[in-house]
Amino acid sequence: MNETSPIVLVVDDETQIRRFLRTGFELNGFVVQEAATGAEAIRSATLRPIDLMIVDLGLPDMDGSEVVKRIRSWSTIPIIVLSVRATEAQKVQLLEVGADDYVVKPFGMAELLARVRVALRRQMRAVTGEPTVKAGPLTIDLAARAVTLNGARLTLTPKEYRLLQVLAQHAGNVVTHQHLLKEVWGSIHVHDTHYLRIFVRKLRQKIEPHPDSPKILMTELGVGYRLAQSGEAESAYAAADAPAKSEG
Amino acid sequence: MQHVFKIDRIRKELPGIGWTLALVSLLTAVLFTMVWEWGIEHGSVVYLIPVVIAATRWGIVSAVVAAVCGVAASAFFFYPPLYSFRITDPQEVIDLILCIFVAVVVSQLATRLKNQLETARQREIDLSDLYAFSRRLAVAFDVSDIHAAIEDHLASVMQRKVVLFASAREAAGGGRRAGVTVPESVLAQVIELASGRHDANSGVTLSADGGDVWLVRAVSPKSSEFGVIAINLGHESQADSNELSSRIDAVLADATATLERLDVAHAISEARMRSQTDQLREALIGSVSHELRTPLASILGAATVLSAAPALAGETKLRALVYDVRDEAERLNNDIQNLLDASRISSDGVKPRIEWADPTDIVNSAIERCRQRFSDRHLVLDLPNDLPLIRVDPVLVEQALVQIFDNAVKYSPPGSPINVGARARDGQMAVSVTDQGAGLTAAERSRIWDRFVRGERHAATTSGSGLGLWIASAFIAANGGKMNAASEGPGRGTTLSIELPVARAAVAQLEGDADE
Repeated sequence: MNETSPIVLVVDDETQIRRFLRTGFELNGFVVQEAATGAEAIRSATLRPIDLMIVDLGLPDMDGSEVVKRIRSWSTIPIIVLSVRATEAQKVQLLEVGADDYVVKPFGMAELLARVRVALRRQMRAVTGEPTVKAGPLTIDLAARAVTLNGARLTLTPKEYRLLQVLAQHAGNVVTHQHLLKEVWGSIHVHDTHYLRIFVRKLRQKIEPHPDSPKILMTELGVGYRLAQSGEAESAYAAADAPAKSEG
Repeated sequence: MQHVFKIDRIRKELPGIGWTLALVSLLTAVLFTMVWEWGIEHGSVVYLIPVVIAATRWGIVSAVVAAVCGVAASAFFFYPPLYSFRITDPQEVIDLILCIFVAVVVSQLATRLKNQLETARQREIDLSDLYAFSRRLAVAFDVSDIHAAIEDHLASVMQRKVVLFASAREAAGGGRRAGVTVPESVLAQVIELASGRHDANSGVTLSADGGDVWLVRAVSPKSSEFGVIAINLGHESQADSNELSSRIDAVLADATATLERLDVAHAISEARMRSQTDQLREALIGSVSHELRTPLASILGAATVLSAAPALAGETKLRALVYDVRDEAERLNNDIQNLLDASRISSDGVKPRIEWADPTDIVNSAIERCRQRFSDRHLVLDLPNDLPLIRVDPVLVEQALVQIFDNAVKYSPPGSPINVGARARDGQMAVSVTDQGAGLTAAERSRIWDRFVRGERHAATTSGSGLGLWIASAFIAANGGKMNAASEGPGRGTTLSIELPVARAAVAQLEGDADE
C-alpha cells in the first residue's frame, strides 16, 4: 500500500461481493474503498482521488448506469460495470453512457483483474500521451500512423487504418459496432454492421497470424470488437481461473 | 273484458279506428249505390267484412267500432224507416248482436294468433342470441372477452343500452364505453354494488341528470364474478320502470342460468388464473436469476480469490477443494442459465436480435467459452476463410453451439478428437461438430431434440438435465435454421450440425457496396 498503489472504489450493495472484491484487489496491490449505494459512490468519487470504479448495476437507490452517467459528467476515470443479467443491448447501452467495460456476474477474480488492468493502462496512456499501442506481435504508432507486425511495416487502406486506430485508442476495451461504424463510415451508416464484418475480415487477413482463430482483433458477439492487449493474458490468475460463463 | 276499452288502448288503436271508419263509409257508399241501382234488399251481413278486417288487423276496439258503425249504417240506410236510426225490426237487433259477437271473437283469435307469432319470433331471436352468446363464450380467452359477451347479450336481448362493470375498480376508472356514457351518480351506485356494500340481489333504479332512468344491479345474485350492470331504461316520461324491471329480471335470470350452465364462472376464474400464472412465471424468472445468481456470484468470486491466495500456494489438497467449490458453482450457474433459457423458450420469449454476423466469429466465440471444457479434448478446426455472412442473432447461435460442444465433450472419452467444421452450400450455411464418442442408436436419434430426454445408456453415468439440445434447437429455430443429428451407431461417434439460411445475393451486393 504505497503511494503508487491504484485506488479502486467498489460500489455494490451486497456485503459478500464487496468482501471478496476487497480481498482480491488487496492481494493484487490495490487500495480498496467501498460504497453500498449510488449516492455514497458519487460522494466518495468527488471527495477522494480514485483511479478506478467498479459499479454494480442493481443498486438500492439508483440504477448503476445512472451512477456512470453522473460520474462521466465530470470525470474520465475508468468505470467497469458488474451486472447479474445483461442482454447484449444493455451492454451496448452501458458502453454508450460511458462505462469502459462490463463483467457479467458470476465472474472470476482473474477476469475482473484483467479488465481492470486494461482500463488502468488505457487511462495511463491517455495521461502520458504514449503514442504506441501494442497488441501481441502488432504495434500501432498512433502518432506516426504506422502499423507494424513483428517489426515489418503493414500497408493498410485508409479505412482499415481508421478502424484499427479507433480500436487502438480503446485498446483492451470493447468498442461497440455503432461507435466503430460512426467513427469510420459516418453516422448514417451506424446500422450497416455488414461493412464492419467485411472490413474486420480483411484486416484480420493482414494482422492476424491465424485469421480464422483471431487473437488480436477479438469479437464480442452482439456488442462490438476489442483489440487484445499484450499483457492481458499474463494475469497471475489466468492459469488457475476458469473463464466464467457469461450469459446473454 | 273491462281492459278492452281502457283509454290507452283506444289511443293505441286510434289509427286503426280511423281506417275502420273509412272502410265502413266506403262499404256503405258501395252498398248504397248497389241498393239504389240494382234494388238489392239489404246487405247488412256485408258489414261483417270490415268487422273481420278490423279485428284481425287493428284490434278489438276497431272491430267493435266497425260492428257498431256497420249496424248503425244499415239501420240508417237500408232498414225502414230509411234515413233514421230507429230500429223497428228485431232482425236488426240480431244483426247488431251477431256483428259484435263476431268482432269480439275474431279479434280475440287474431290477437292470440298475433301474440303467438310475436312470441315465436322473439324466441327465435332469443335463441339465435343465446347461440351467438354461447359461441362467444366458448372462444373467449380472458375475463374481459367473457364480460364483453355478457354485455352484448344483455343489450341485444333487452334492446337497451347496457354497460357491464366487471369490478368496482373498473367502474371507478370511468363510465365511457362504446358510445354510452354512464352518469356519475349511476357510477357511484355501481361501485357500491360491485364492492359488495349493498345487497346484490335487489336492483336500484335512479334518475340521472339527463332525465334518463337507470337500473343498476348485479348480473347474478349468487356470483359476483359476473359483475354489475347499468341499464338505461329510457326517458322518465316514457319508461314504465316496473314492467321493464320485471322483464329485466327475467332476462337476467335466463342469462345467469346460461352462464351457470356454460360454467362461465369457472371459465372466468380459470382465465384469471392463467394470467396470474404468466405473471408468476415472469416474476419467478426474474427472481431466480437474481436471487440465485447473487449468492452464486459471491461463492464463485470468493473461490477464485482463494484459489490464487498466496496462503494456499503450498496447500495442494486445500486448493483442490477450492477448485471443487469454483467448478461446482460454475456448473450450478450453467444449470440455472439452462432453466432460464428453457422457461424463456416455453413462454415464447426468444426474440432474436438479427444482424449481419460472421460465422467464424460465432464459432470462435463458442470455442473460447468452452476452452476449459475442451482442455482434455483434441479440437480440430476446419473453417474456410470465404464463409458467407449470415443474418442471425449471433449470441443465440453461439449459445446453441456451446450446448452442442458441451454435449460432445460429455459423451466422448478424454483425449479423443472433436472436429468442428463449417461449409456453405446450396444457400445453407452448416456448422458441424463431430465427436468420437458414444454415438446414437436409432431411437436416441429420433428423440435427441426433445425436452428432458436423456439417453438411457448414459443417465446413470453422466449428469445433465436433458435441456441442452432442446434449448439449442429452439434457439436455432428462432433464427430460421434447423439442427441435424447423425451417427453411424452406438460407440461410433456423433455429428450434430446447425443449418442456417444464407441470403447469398444480398451478401454479394453488399460486399460490393462496402469496398473502397
